[in-house]
Amino acid sequence: MVFSRVSLHDLKQAFVAALPIVAGYVVLGIPCGILGVQAGMSVLQVVLMSLFFYSGAGQYLIPNLWMAGVPITSIVASVSLVNLRQILYAASMSRFSEGAGKRLSFLFAATMTDESFGINLGRFTAEGAQERWTVSRATLVNLFSLVTWILANAAGAILGSLLAVPTALASFAMTAIFICLLFMQRFTPPAIVAAVVAALGVCVCKLVGLSGPAILIGALLGIAAALIVGRKTPSPEHEGGEQ
Amino acid sequence: MSWGSFLIIVGLCMLTILASRVIPLFVLKGRELPERAAQALGYIPPAAFAALVANDLFNLQGFSADPWHALIPCIAALPVIVVALKTKSLLWCIVVGVAVFGALLLTP
Repeated sequence: MVFSRVSLHDLKQAFVAALPIVAGYVVLGIPCGILGVQAGMSVLQVVLMSLFFYSGAGQYLIPNLWMAGVPITSIVASVSLVNLRQILYAASMSRFSEGAGKRLSFLFAATMTDESFGINLGRFTAEGAQERWTVSRATLVNLFSLVTWILANAAGAILGSLLAVPTALASFAMTAIFICLLFMQRFTPPAIVAAVVAALGVCVCKLVGLSGPAILIGALLGIAAALIVGRKTPSPEHEGGEQ
Repeated sequence: MSWGSFLIIVGLCMLTILASRVIPLFVLKGRELPERAAQALGYIPPAAFAALVANDLFNLQGFSADPWHALIPCIAALPVIVVALKTKSLLWCIVVGVAVFGALLLTP
């Protein structure tokens, strides 16, 4: 057994906590499914990707790069780099999962996203809460979110296979997502350096004909530049990060 | 997308994200990440998303072939930035971006 003793009360608490994520994933999963189909995926592929990969930014990124004709190795490297930020979430959750079983901890860690990390961290660290937040409940929050994400993507993929969206429009919808994700960041001085250097790096790569690995090279240059700048200015607290 | 390409791309991406999600939880056991490592990871989102936006907007072949058409995404990006800063809503960014982009496409 992965879970030991999940009460109706746990389910209810987890569902209430997951509600904001559920609402958000319905809204974001449907266009994600539509875009996946526009990029040439089947409904089954979209569903499998939502279940096994389960990453909002990543699932917008793969169709975007695929449609742009980026080589497979560069797609995998770029998506993996973007998803390395999950290490921060896993690291900060490790102190709460110490008492939990191995299988439950694995399931909990494997189903963490930007949003469920935010909600669960809030519950784990809530002051004056009547009862302790548990890894079981946190995992249930993750699973409610995952199921919603799969269903919303499936609905979007079915919808997307019924209507023809012009490729240029679908492609710009993904650009709009990336713009929003970029401007949701906290812009500390090193974070601004990271963004500016990364953008310039991409343009230079494309100018010299390196359009395949442009994103990866640009992003790595940006991170390196931010680390150099960040070394000189003392950091007041944790830098960057989402939400 | 062929199943071969799908399995390679999604399979490998699944493995790297699973490793990022699971390994630190078991390895750290409550200890903190080294500060420089945490810093570098914190810079990934601004650097990566800026790189993605630049990659989408900087269309070299388009600029020389049909400058007006290649500029449309850059122009449509401006209202999206405003909406992103004001609402922080991904959905509103898609709606406004696609509407402005579509309207600009229809101009001769």
